[in-house]
Amino acid sequence: MHSPIHVLYADHHGWLLGWLRRRLGCPHGAADVAHDTFVRILASRDALLGLREPRAYLTTTAQHLLIDRARRQALERAYLAELAALADSHPGLAPSPEETLAALQALEQISAALDGLPPRPARAFLLHFLDGEPQGAIAATLGVSTRMVRKYLVQALLHCHAATGGHA
Amino acid sequence: MSAAARDNDSIATEAAQWLVSLRDDETQGNAAALARTRAAFIAWKAADPRHAEAAQRMEALLERVQGLRGQAGGNARPAQAALNAALSTGQSRRRRAARAGAVLALVLAMAVPAAVALRVWPPAYLMADLRTSAGEWQDHQLADGTRIALRGGSAVNLRYDAARRTLELVQGDILVDVAKDAARPFVVQTAHGLIRALGTRFMVERQPDATVLSMLESTTEVQPAAGGAPLRVHAGERLRFTAAQADAATPLDASTTEGAWRRHQLVVHDQPLPEVLDALARQRPGHLQYDRAALEGIRVSAVLPLDDTGRALQLLVDSFPQLRVRMLTRYFVMVDTAPQP
Repeated sequence: MHSPIHVLYADHHGWLLGWLRRRLGCPHGAADVAHDTFVRILASRDALLGLREPRAYLTTTAQHLLIDRARRQALERAYLAELAALADSHPGLAPSPEETLAALQALEQISAALDGLPPRPARAFLLHFLDGEPQGAIAATLGVSTRMVRKYLVQALLHCHAATGGHA
Repeated sequence: MSAAARDNDSIATEAAQWLVSLRDDETQGNAAALARTRAAFIAWKAADPRHAEAAQRMEALLERVQGLRGQAGGNARPAQAALNAALSTGQSRRRRAARAGAVLALVLAMAVPAAVALRVWPPAYLMADLRTSAGEWQDHQLADGTRIALRGGSAVNLRYDAARRTLELVQGDILVDVAKDAARPFVVQTAHGLIRALGTRFMVERQPDATVLSMLESTTEVQPAAGGAPLRVHAGERLRFTAAQADAATPLDASTTEGAWRRHQLVVHDQPLPEVLDALARQRPGHLQYDRAALEGIRVSAVLPLDDTGRALQLLVDSFPQLRVRMLTRYFVMVDTAPQP
């Protein structure tokens, strides 16, 4: 078998692993990301045709995966730390591992939908839809008019709509 | 843009406006207005299948957002802390640099309960010049020939000018090999004071309330932030200082200490357990939870593997049977003492 992906793998897997190891300082993490990089490339086969700079392509793909991974880790850490703090003050609160996993998956989906949205609309969105703050209160917090808050909220919803596959 | 695409855009915008109006009525607790808006929204969706389709995906996402409160007993804080952390790390380096200020404002103003959220991703860490994530080791050579090694969970800022080379240790552990430059002293700065060097080699650990200097070669001068005469610290000495004062220097085996760094080991001599757990926590992805006050009395002497913090914790439990380690997930571990029978 000498499909392009095999050639790419044979020629560059060791090199990519070294590159990732230097970036991550963790051999297990590097092996995981290297594996995911080839899986992702395999999933978009046409990208292999006429690949002139295979290593640049590999590192770009791996780079995206590293950012996703960092975001996922930050999200998990912050959620679990905060949940632990809450559990300390509310002894009755004991979410099961399954519930926690479901919540983390929902959070990942939402954070992916919000990614790339400017900070103010993102903040208005979370204050309104997650915290349930009225638009007037958000306007006061952000120091803008209620009209502007409405604009931010519509912008945030359209951004999520586009991120989840719409035409907005 | 085709007419159909333009239509789709304006339909999506209308759908978003409806959802914003509905939520506004909800948050204001105005039941009559909410009922009216909801009826009008249903009529709008019924008017054209494309309307319902555009609204459907946004509604599904909003349902997930609102569902997040349920798991935490109706509290939105964990979800909000998580999303803020994700939003501030999910960007490419270029975008992150450009938006660091905005992200800082976002993180601060969200008023996420400070103690926990700031401990996980302090803004000062996110914006540091050099930083390592949990378990990551880095070596850097600076333009003047000075070498800096960072252990996991560390962050430093560098400010070089004509008079002085300043390294601010924001958090974590570093090993510095200072290149000689008689004209420009090299200064390590923390909240607790300054360490001044000409050309030398030393390690610095930033603890929550103190800075610990381990001298490997030559001499430095330490100046606690509160002032007083600077203290000279020599090779083979370890000095712990707070902003107010410095403890007495204790002896240190320089070659063992440096060898342990190279082998990614943590060597501790008669230190309180919380300090050891702090060092392990910086190496570990996820959250290590412990009550400092309850564990303060346990003093530890050990050599622990920093690349395998699970084993390091196990070694601690083996030596201190009263300790208990509970793992909720790989990313959330609690350490406490077992209740007395």
